[in-house]
Amino acid sequence: MSSQARGRRAFKFILPALLCMLFVHIIPIFWGAYIAFIDLDIYTITRWMQAPFVGLRNFFTVFSPATDVGVRYLRSIWNVVYFGLITIPAGYFIGLLVALLLNRKFFGRTLVRGLILLPYITPDSVAYNVWRFIFQARIGIVNKYLLALGLIEEPIIWLVGDRAIYAVMIASVWKGWPFACLVLLAGLQSIPQELYEAAKIDGASSFGLFRFVTFPMLRPVSATLLLLSAIWNFHAFNQFYILLGADPGKTHVPSTFILQEAFTNFHFGQGAAMSVFLTVVVLLMTVAILRVRRRGEEW
Amino acid sequence: MVRRTFWAILGRILFGLAVFLVLAGVLIPYLWMVSGSFKTTLEIQSADVLKPELSPRWFPRKFTWENYLRVNRTVRMLDYFRNSIIISVGTMVFSVGISLFAAYALSRFTFSWKRMYTLAVLSTQMFPGISFLIPYFMMFVLIKHYLGLPMQNTYWGMIFTYTSFALPFSILMLRNFLDSIPREIDEQAQIDGCTPAGALLRVILPLAKPGIAAVGIYSFIMAWNEVLFATVLTGRETKTVALGLLEYITAQQARWAGMMAACILVSIPVLVLFSLMQRYIIEGLVAGATKG
Repeated sequence: MSSQARGRRAFKFILPALLCMLFVHIIPIFWGAYIAFIDLDIYTITRWMQAPFVGLRNFFTVFSPATDVGVRYLRSIWNVVYFGLITIPAGYFIGLLVALLLNRKFFGRTLVRGLILLPYITPDSVAYNVWRFIFQARIGIVNKYLLALGLIEEPIIWLVGDRAIYAVMIASVWKGWPFACLVLLAGLQSIPQELYEAAKIDGASSFGLFRFVTFPMLRPVSATLLLLSAIWNFHAFNQFYILLGADPGKTHVPSTFILQEAFTNFHFGQGAAMSVFLTVVVLLMTVAILRVRRRGEEW
Repeated sequence: MVRRTFWAILGRILFGLAVFLVLAGVLIPYLWMVSGSFKTTLEIQSADVLKPELSPRWFPRKFTWENYLRVNRTVRMLDYFRNSIIISVGTMVFSVGISLFAAYALSRFTFSWKRMYTLAVLSTQMFPGISFLIPYFMMFVLIKHYLGLPMQNTYWGMIFTYTSFALPFSILMLRNFLDSIPREIDEQAQIDGCTPAGALLRVILPLAKPGIAAVGIYSFIMAWNEVLFATVLTGRETKTVALGLLEYITAQQARWAGMMAACILVSIPVLVLFSLMQRYIIEGLVAGATKG
């Protein structure tokens, strides 16, 4: 079979998947890039070709610290970065500790492994609504126990204001660490036992085993895991939207803020400009992750 | 000797304690959810952390089934269940059908744009939904405007959207699964006179059942859980359970007890389906994060 005929045969099999990708991912991403350069609102949406072309104005507006939108967008970017800087390492370390814990044999291990997966498989909408209940000021258990321990005098309002982001972080780490644990457990189990035996013969302590065998062997899988988490961090939406509502004031992240700007205030052009920036950031990070992976193959 | 057993026992106790702490951290929110679902709305509303006699309790003061029996009373939860089931099952069917063919081509055929396509599939998983929500919404508006075909607030619009979301993972996971089925089997089928599509449907399909089930369940769960696109693209007639849960809390009233009961009902299909295919889905997810 000629290479052209092979290409055509594969094309027939992949065509439906290609069409889905085309209409849901590729066309919208390029179209979104175009919308970012026009002044599109609710009145011009069906006559989008006549919407005035404004060049880079949308970008200047959303990145300008002098406009209200700009201030809020920049703050939302900072929020999601700050959110990731805390939740990713926290999820990773909890995941690693529990993976080390569960990597030995003990009675009931399968059950424990199944149970720790619960947060990961519980629907976001359920998990974060339950956390919203837990964090309620007057009726929630967080305040109940903080008061009982004497750590606070007054019930704290968790889900509004400056503390809101920390409440979201706690709920997200609770939901996210089992995935890290799962990946790291798989990584731990792929480490050949002989390495440990050889290190023991060389007189390594149990800390030495971790430092010179486990840790280096987990490095590639950790690198991909952390990079992927860093990318997926920009997907953060559900936890903020469910815990804090559609308008969390100063605790917006890009996803919630763009949603509000585009679909409540109908600033589609500015919303698209903000989305394009996110797309570019994610694209750059994806290129980085593919590079790391390729290097990993060469090692 | 005595000393050794002492340390061994202490080690075991500490180990057990650590496992216990982990489990407690995981399970407390679930216990609170279950406990809340059996309380009366009055009990939750009148709770007050500052007053010892009204402090929220783990055991309901008055145990009630009301929240489950009347799950549909304040929020149209049963309608949302129907919508979610239709959309999720539709997504499952289409995602399995489409990804099976694409995965088979990736697994069995050699063609020049294979690597490029695989990379494209991988990278679509990276983009946050918000980066194409606005143009995608516009596309729905324009399809209605020019073709008269309603897309927003329709089952097929949502099924198409979620199928496309589920495809990248489904294709890559099924490809890995098909790679583990020996090629000789479809070569034999083709010698016996099957076309590639015939070999796939008659010979490979039965062998790939676990992989297909895992992909189907993944797609179902994805559609069941999605929130962002549902907020914009669904309406009164197609609202899914994930959004329906939010309706229990309004500016006027907070119906936490009802919401906790609904939360449990919403989780059940996901937990059941997941535990059926746990091993395959987890293998796929871990491979997705480590291999690609």
